[in-house]
Amino acid sequence: MTEAYVRINDLSKDFDVSSPWLNRVVEGKEKTYLKAVDQVRFDIEKGETFALVGESGSGKSTVARMLVGLLAPTDGGATIDGISLAGGRRTAQTNTVREKLQMIFQDPYASLNARWRIKKIIAEPIVSLKLLKGRAAIDARVDELLTLVGLHPDDGSKFPHEFSGGQRQRIAIARALASNPELIVCDEPTSALDVSVQAQILNLMRDLQDQLGLTYLIISHDLAVVRYMATHTGVMYLGRIVEIGAGRDLFLNPRHPYTKMLLDAVPDMEYPGRPRTAVQGEIPSPISPPPGCTFHPRCPLANDRCRVEAPKMIENVACHAIEERRSLP
Amino acid sequence: MQSVLSVRDLRVDFITRRGALHAIDGVSFDIAPGEILGLVGESGAGKSVTGSAVIGLIDPPGKISGGEILLNGDRIDTLPAEKMRKIRGKRIGMIFQDPLTSLNPLYRIGEQLVQTICAHLPLDAKQARVRAIKLLEDVGIPAPDQRIDSYPHEFSGGMRQRVVIALALCAEPDLVIADEPTTALDVSVQAQVIALLKQICADRGTAVILVTHDMGVIAEAADRVAVMYAGRIVEIGPVAEVIRAPRHPYAAGLMGAIPSLTSDRDRLEQIEGAMPRLSNLPEGCAFHPRCTQATDQCRQARPDLNANGAHAVACFLHEGDHI
Repeated sequence: MTEAYVRINDLSKDFDVSSPWLNRVVEGKEKTYLKAVDQVRFDIEKGETFALVGESGSGKSTVARMLVGLLAPTDGGATIDGISLAGGRRTAQTNTVREKLQMIFQDPYASLNARWRIKKIIAEPIVSLKLLKGRAAIDARVDELLTLVGLHPDDGSKFPHEFSGGQRQRIAIARALASNPELIVCDEPTSALDVSVQAQILNLMRDLQDQLGLTYLIISHDLAVVRYMATHTGVMYLGRIVEIGAGRDLFLNPRHPYTKMLLDAVPDMEYPGRPRTAVQGEIPSPISPPPGCTFHPRCPLANDRCRVEAPKMIENVACHAIEERRSLP
Repeated sequence: MQSVLSVRDLRVDFITRRGALHAIDGVSFDIAPGEILGLVGESGAGKSVTGSAVIGLIDPPGKISGGEILLNGDRIDTLPAEKMRKIRGKRIGMIFQDPLTSLNPLYRIGEQLVQTICAHLPLDAKQARVRAIKLLEDVGIPAPDQRIDSYPHEFSGGMRQRVVIALALCAEPDLVIADEPTTALDVSVQAQVIALLKQICADRGTAVILVTHDMGVIAEAADRVAVMYAGRIVEIGPVAEVIRAPRHPYAAGLMGAIPSLTSDRDRLEQIEGAMPRLSNLPEGCAFHPRCTQATDQCRQARPDLNANGAHAVACFLHEGDHI
């Protein structure tokens, strides 16, 4: 069996949100944990764009942070190209994989060092990973990268404050490309940008994927962006993936009640004023999630089983109602 | 019918060391009672400044340098600060983007509501509290008689925004200015808040200026929409017309740039470049350097809003449309 390029295997992350030790002792409280990510499992094939979508607090960014190694998972792990990154241990093997892994962050105003010139920012991965030797070779590579993302080589001697948000995001992309990565994790890459600039960046990301054969993991709360970019999409709710769908399938035939609700909640520009089912409630606190299926308090199809038993992922959807072929009365 | 708000040739300048920047340059529009007017545009287009100017909250170095603002026929832009304060909150309500920063974290929401009600209406504290509970009920807060004594941090984001809407509606204002009211919220909560805002304004006949960068929100909530670019309105008209058949090249580009949830686009349209800085506005039409259809005329002269019925466009390409 050939293994997928990226395999996320039962990845879990608990955050300790207990009160301080003394309070616990005095008040007799147990330690409390927040299950940010709960046994998430999915595969990404090479050259694909996998998107994780969900509302705030669903754990999508935590998955991305664990994959790139910014957070250590509580349980489970990831393999890239067959090499395990579990436990955050650094070996020669994982280092070569990490070179192939880069990240683009949401806010291009925070992710670029304001005191460095663009040249130095883009050259940083090349220098720290010792990919090229000699000033001339590095400068030539930086010029090439700037041109690749639609900027001018002369821009290299400027500082970040001289650029607009869209141009800064281009610089962040150029930096990510500097180490010849295969997988780029993009955490809300266009959320801080205006729509016309967002279109430029999304188109650029797709062009680069075609040119360089990149694999993307995109984290976004914007379903329309996900539909435009993704070949596969995972919908997250309170730390669990509730549905995985291929390409446009998920948007045309959503199966999980949460996916349906989410899609229905997005304002539709083509049919303004269409009748919509009113959205029920809000996402509960992840510190005390509801028992059973975490979506049951908001689900129109919930029954007694949903209230006690967490659904398993069956044919890419985790829902008792679909498993039992229950439908709306 | 008389408009609730009438803005005529409004100009707002920001005085800097390098001269005056024209943040708003000749903006005019009217709103009828119960109407929701969307102001849409990208960062720096002047949509929020327009909202602040109407409510008289332009801080120095900014100032209104021309035009007039009429509320139910009375000029309000020239009123002294003390009189403007009486109008603010009473006749014009305001909803801001982030509900966490527009509520005082140290006071229970009931105290904040009662204080606002007593400041504007001739009610005593007891009557005000009854009214506050009624308002919370209207905006869909469950168990309002208990929740009224909660602090803002005890509410979720969507519930907090409902409280802010209740605050804005305290004194039955004629006009509510909602500046990015759903931007800080998740989509499912956003849908709830938009539905609430629409329904509550329809019930009370309150006019709303809805400032947002999200075309989807405009499509869902607004009756009319004004598209702003570099301090001017480039297109204004009924929502369905502007969204389905935008005429100004910028408005058209903006619509093409938005990824769709229901139809497949092979490629998003791109408007090259970015909005010019106010300190460096191009001659003629401010959009011409990014416009694919620009002519010499566009580089030299600035087009005015040209009305064709309810739909008006500021573009030389559409000058002859109304004939």
